[in-house]
Amino acid sequence: MASTENNALLSVRDLVVEFETDQGVLRAVDGVSFDIHPGETLGLVGESGCGKTVTGLSMLGLVPSPPGRIASGSIMFDGSDLVSMDETGLREIRGSQISMIFQEPMTALNPVFRIGSQMRDVLQRHQKLTRRQAHSTAIEMLAKVGIPEPAGRVDDYPHQLSGGMRQRVMIAMALSCGPKLLVADEPTTALDVTTQAQVLEQVVRLQKEFGMAMILITHDLGVVAETCQQAVVMYCGRIVERSSIEALFASPRHPYTAGLLASIPRVTDERQEVLPVIPGMVPDLLHLPQGCAFAERCSRVRDRCRQKSPRLELLQSTQTSVACYEPNA
Amino acid sequence: MEVFQYVLRKLLAGIPLVLGVTLISFVLIVYFGPDKTYELLGKNPTADEIAEIRSQLGYDQPFVTRYMDYLREIVTLDFGSSESTDEKVSSILARTVPTSIALAIPGFVLGNLLGVVLALVAAYYRGFWVDKFIMGFAAVGMSISFLIAIIGFQILFSSSDGLDLLPVRGWDMSTPLQYIRYVTVPTLATVFVALGYNTRFYRAVIVEEMTRDHVRTARAFGVPPVQLFYRNILKNSMIPIVTRIMFSIPVIVISGSLLLESYFGIPGVGKVTYDAIVTGDQPILKAVVVLTAVLFVIAQLLADICYRVVDPRVSLK
Ligand SMILES: Nc1ncnc2c1ncn2[C@@H]1O[C@H](COP(=O)(O)OP(=O)(O)O)[C@@H](O)[C@H]1O
Ligand code: SF4
Ligand SMILES: [Mg+2]
Repeated sequence: MASTENNALLSVRDLVVEFETDQGVLRAVDGVSFDIHPGETLGLVGESGCGKTVTGLSMLGLVPSPPGRIASGSIMFDGSDLVSMDETGLREIRGSQISMIFQEPMTALNPVFRIGSQMRDVLQRHQKLTRRQAHSTAIEMLAKVGIPEPAGRVDDYPHQLSGGMRQRVMIAMALSCGPKLLVADEPTTALDVTTQAQVLEQVVRLQKEFGMAMILITHDLGVVAETCQQAVVMYCGRIVERSSIEALFASPRHPYTAGLLASIPRVTDERQEVLPVIPGMVPDLLHLPQGCAFAERCSRVRDRCRQKSPRLELLQSTQTSVACYEPNA
Repeated sequence: MEVFQYVLRKLLAGIPLVLGVTLISFVLIVYFGPDKTYELLGKNPTADEIAEIRSQLGYDQPFVTRYMDYLREIVTLDFGSSESTDEKVSSILARTVPTSIALAIPGFVLGNLLGVVLALVAAYYRGFWVDKFIMGFAAVGMSISFLIAIIGFQILFSSSDGLDLLPVRGWDMSTPLQYIRYVTVPTLATVFVALGYNTRFYRAVIVEEMTRDHVRTARAFGVPPVQLFYRNILKNSMIPIVTRIMFSIPVIVISGSLLLESYFGIPGVGKVTYDAIVTGDQPILKAVVVLTAVLFVIAQLLADICYRVVDPRVSLK
């Protein structure tokens, strides 16, 4: 994870994203840095509102503007900086080099066009396929994501499909041009539990098959444990811990990570015990306290925590970076 | 075939509405309407004379019989003759309906088309001066009353204080040029006022559509701006826009043509209706009321078919 590595597919450095709101400037992403190598999966974890989606959207230059903007930082992808790239350049990359799938399968597709038309559009634009070629590729992709009778379904409108099926269509569309990076923003959160597992399994299998790197955004550490090599834990727009999955689960360093881990139900437990929850509430991003944003909820809080925010630093003799004055041993 | 069955079913479903309107209009205009007995009688009529006239007019028949007579008149489109001019109502309508349509259509089409275009431009440049300019213009159109707009445009184009180019009153569509000369000023007044409301509404619809998830998805797949506007934003905005256009048809026909025709002295249905209300010309009023109800049913039907065209989620079943 050293920042000097240059064989990374994607290198995000000190990314800051701000929103202009009625009550002032809201910093949704504050100094986020991470690397992803080809074929690797990185889990981006944190409670709702901590800046995961905004971070994901930044990878495609899609932060809604106005009111949002990338205030500073760089996103190096394949040798070029996406932050300073113009719209035309970004359009070439969106859906072909980097794809994104979204949390809301019910509303993410255009309701007035057949799914085949929407899939062909992407293929014809990026791969310069003819309509006929694009049509058969679309059907192949639908088959790959496990849609039964793809040749018939390709002519369906989105409203004729269930949520799970629509999310599969999104996945098929996202992978159709063979992107190098997939940003999957809570792809299963809106689905029912059995569908969740199937869709997630499908994503992971296809990711291996296509050899893509993936940023898997989720608020579920259990999902991260099953699918990712690396994890980034965010709190109030900042990274509080960044490490390999093994290290994260074996010894979470940040009190917030430890709290999240403790609240995952374990199937191995014999009795259903009451799971501990992190006390307190996430502070308002517009009125962040001075010092560590987690201080109000932290059991290890000291005086200095309230004075200055801890920086994300590599712990000695480990591969884990943590932003905490009193990390767990 | 599916569409044909649908149209048939909808027309049948419209019958109760039309019947309801005929019943109400019957009760208000005919049953409890003006009693013509004494108009037709001389001074000091005898009870026999009164009874005879009443029976000639059908006033002695029971409610149901009279209502049935009324319905028969409607179904056979035989509304009788105007009480003031003796011209047959059907020939009055044949003379005035085309005029009213020719008068209303340019303003209606332009008011909506320009409204959508201006709304698209304003939405695209929202927050910038182009948007502010367009919305300022719309606010003016909206706050000025229709009458003021009519008089303003009449002064501007048709008076010696203005350009003095076009006729101020009257109607002639014997040649295209004459038609344009007479239709321009009423159309400008209509468009000016309609744009105020339409632009605001359409801009709100389009801006809302621009923030939808599917627009974000399209952008995430590299859809270029023109295509995004057409395939994602405009196509989806058409659903509320069509609704508004369809519901505005009867309103335009009734209130729009009433005002326009009386202020420009144009011999259309609106003018005829206005005169009929003033003089209590029953046969004409009956015809207009029923035709308006039929128009509502047809507009509703057209709206449903348009929905199907713009929104695949609507089925004609
Ligand atoms: N369009 C927007 N306008 C204003 N604030 C926004 C907008 N989008 C996101 N935010 C703010 O950015 C923060 C992070 O949002 P998000 O990335 O969606 O969180 P997450 O995906 O982790 O739940 C939130 O506090 C939210 O209020
Ligand atoms: S810096 Fe202090 S308050 Fe923040 S997490 Fe660490 S110990 Fe807790
Ligand atoms: Mg989110």
